[in-house]
Amino acid sequence: MARPTLRTMYGRVFGVAVVGVHGHLIKVEAHVGRGLPSLTITGLPGAAVQDARDRVRPAVEGSGLEWPLRRVVVNLSPAGTRKDGPGFDLPIALGVLAASAQVPRRLLSAYAFAGELSLKGELVATPGILAVAIAAARGDLEGVVVPEENLAEAELVEGLHVVAAPSLAAVVGFLRGEEVPRASGSPAPAARADPGSAVDFSEIRGQGAARRALEIAAAGGHNALLIGPPGAGKTMLARRLPSILPTMTRQEALEVTRLHSVAGILTGGGLVGTRPFRAPHHTISPAGLIGGGSGFLRPGEASLAHNGVLFLDEFTEFRRDAVEGLRQPLEDGRIVVARAAGAVEFPARFALIAASNPCPCGFEGDVRRHCRCLPNRLEAYRQRLSGPMLDRVDLQLSVPRLTRSELLGSELGEASSVVRARVEVARDRQRTRLSQTPWSCNSQMPGAMARREARLTDSAEALLSGAVEGLLLSGRSFDRVLKVARTIADLAGREEVERGDVAEALGYRSGARSEEVASVG
Amino acid sequence: MRDSGLGDHHALAVTGGVSDGTAGSKWPRRFVSGTEDREALALLLGLASLTPRRLLEAAQSRRSARACLLAVREGRIGSEGDRAHARAQRGGDILAKLPATESRLVATGDHEYPRELCDLFDPPAGLFVRGWPLPRLEPRVAIVGARNCSSGGREIATMLAAALARAGVCVVSGGARGIDSAAHRGALEAGGTSVAVLGCGIDVPYPRQNRRLLERVAASGALVSEYPPGLPPEPYRFPARNRIVAALSRAVVVVEGASGSGSMITADHVLDLGREVFAVPGAWTSALSAVPHSLIRDGATLIRGADDLLADLGLERASEEARGGEPGTPALGLGVDERKVWDALTEASPPDTVARRTGLPLPSVISALVGLEMRSLIRHVGGRFERRLGDKGSS
Repeated sequence: MARPTLRTMYGRVFGVAVVGVHGHLIKVEAHVGRGLPSLTITGLPGAAVQDARDRVRPAVEGSGLEWPLRRVVVNLSPAGTRKDGPGFDLPIALGVLAASAQVPRRLLSAYAFAGELSLKGELVATPGILAVAIAAARGDLEGVVVPEENLAEAELVEGLHVVAAPSLAAVVGFLRGEEVPRASGSPAPAARADPGSAVDFSEIRGQGAARRALEIAAAGGHNALLIGPPGAGKTMLARRLPSILPTMTRQEALEVTRLHSVAGILTGGGLVGTRPFRAPHHTISPAGLIGGGSGFLRPGEASLAHNGVLFLDEFTEFRRDAVEGLRQPLEDGRIVVARAAGAVEFPARFALIAASNPCPCGFEGDVRRHCRCLPNRLEAYRQRLSGPMLDRVDLQLSVPRLTRSELLGSELGEASSVVRARVEVARDRQRTRLSQTPWSCNSQMPGAMARREARLTDSAEALLSGAVEGLLLSGRSFDRVLKVARTIADLAGREEVERGDVAEALGYRSGARSEEVASVG
Repeated sequence: MRDSGLGDHHALAVTGGVSDGTAGSKWPRRFVSGTEDREALALLLGLASLTPRRLLEAAQSRRSARACLLAVREGRIGSEGDRAHARAQRGGDILAKLPATESRLVATGDHEYPRELCDLFDPPAGLFVRGWPLPRLEPRVAIVGARNCSSGGREIATMLAAALARAGVCVVSGGARGIDSAAHRGALEAGGTSVAVLGCGIDVPYPRQNRRLLERVAASGALVSEYPPGLPPEPYRFPARNRIVAALSRAVVVVEGASGSGSMITADHVLDLGREVFAVPGAWTSALSAVPHSLIRDGATLIRGADDLLADLGLERASEEARGGEPGTPALGLGVDERKVWDALTEASPPDTVARRTGLPLPSVISALVGLEMRSLIRHVGGRFERRLGDKGSS
């Protein structure tokens, strides 16, 4: 039905737009018509896609192909979605080549194409390729054509034919039926162990209480605040938390890989094998921590810590608005960045570990150095520390700077694998108990449910009500103590929460125990 | 210096000026006689350049407060700023404001003027007092120390003050935060009396957090200040305040102080005055032990608890309750683990050290520590736990 003259002037290929972490199949149409030589891109292209206008022609010509010296219009459809990212260079180039009848159409509708082009026509590593591959699989396409360097990432999606090409010329060759330089078929790369994360709990000497608190945090998915002077080892402790968290499931690893892929921080390709540990500097902007930015919406540090640990050192120094932005992910495990063009969602379920000095000078309560803070500054600092964010922290712990004799007297800790085994058992117990609910660990339970699920023995109950009066526990702290006590019992393999469990949980609320300080002054 | 009690302090006083029967007064006999002199004095006390020492020098030739004020107004003594101030102000206005602040001016030569102040090299010519007359608040012992003290030091100060109060001693201190506040509070809570010597106007609530505490001190004891009402606190006035704290007291107890701090200055005054000095020892690894330890080396008396203090002062303790000092054995009713943990807490230790000493698993140790803490037997300081003082009657 189509007229031959028109058919030769029209080409269509699939590209993928990445919105948040999700890829959307986009039809890239190209039309070569009469008029002065030009290239127009329509259909809500983002800044990076607009850039492709000037990049694609040199790349095509550099690949020994011909750029039609006529008026070229490229349309990205559906027009409603904003298309962003450099991955559109390749589909735009191929669309134009198809419209000018330089490549056969046979394979064009079976593959999705993504990749950034250099001016010489090479395919450059491109962020978000995992999201592209997932979108291609969802769209029932046969395969994807991606830059060579993104091969391992694209191959994580099962049942998809992955063509990894070093250049535009190679892609054209593939479409013409020539030998593909390197196609899929190589064994899927093993889960990648990040050498930087090869840290272990057994490297920590002393700090038994902190180690125990982190074990509880890992077992129940609790957030923690470590308070201690410089040099106490807060960062060292937090850095080792990922090593005792349960091993990631493939689904979790895929989520992490996809986020890291979109953010362009995936190194070496392949599945991210270890839980991420993100420690942003305290000067970070809200957009940097939560995600967003103008134009292309990037996942923030909170999302990059998804399924891992977000460590905020010098917690009191973080911008208030940035910290407040963490409330939503702490409650929902996701971040919704709303823009005029629409809302974008990033997953962000992480363990928050905050660390802070006990006072502005850092040495309050230290045995060797005297704190030189003025009382009113100390007061102001405490107030900043006990702000509304702290209500969302289950475990608060003072980490002392150990003296030489305390260090020498203490033994090295257990290996991470030993602790992790206990954590996994405790997590299983929670999953079983919470199987009828949308939650999977104790920290996620709402207060009412925590009170129901706690199953306190009588003496535990008595201790807790005594604590409410004696230690002035607030309602919120009360629920947090319950949840932590529940996790402690789970670690011990007990269904009932005993008195000792509650007492220990109370030990991890040093904030509630500043009554002595509060009464003086 | 151990024996220089209340009885023989006048022997140390250097006699200067004309005696009017008020033995040892350095001020001329008729320095303040009549309303005009009192008005002049009220104004003179607020002049920054006219330190008590300079005023005393001026008084030797001019003989009356009136004459001194005239000299200031004529620019013969004092700074240019004070001259303008003295010209613009009327002493009568200051005196007229006193009833509103519930205070009164006690001048040298007055009945109420504490004779002990004459021991000073530069005794104040007058004091503003709010509360009970100072001669009714005797005997007096001062407790001083760091503003930025440790919680242990705070507890010691409270406990010693309570013991003194029960023995009928009025506790003098500087009204500042930290050890000072703890001393006042301890005395009041034991039903005793206390005197706070302020470094600002008597109606200036400083530090702000102590407003209510100072009200209570005024109600049961007295607030004292060398400065007229309304004068703001200035750092240079605090050493001068400290000399009055020392002079008003028969003995001074120094609880904590970092070297180079205000506690050291007070201690220097005390030694100059020949008052008895007691010092509470601490760990020599703590910066706050610097002042008490150097005092002990200089001959101050080391005290191990309230008993030592009361015995050395020749006071009976009022009741069994006043005992205290060494961490005592806690009441019965401790669990097995709690008892073991308590016994292991011979020094401030983190939980894992306790676990190693007791052989208990760490979770049990943490549980036991919380139990002991809830009974106020131990205290948590920056990740370590330590015993509290055994004297529970002090609170």
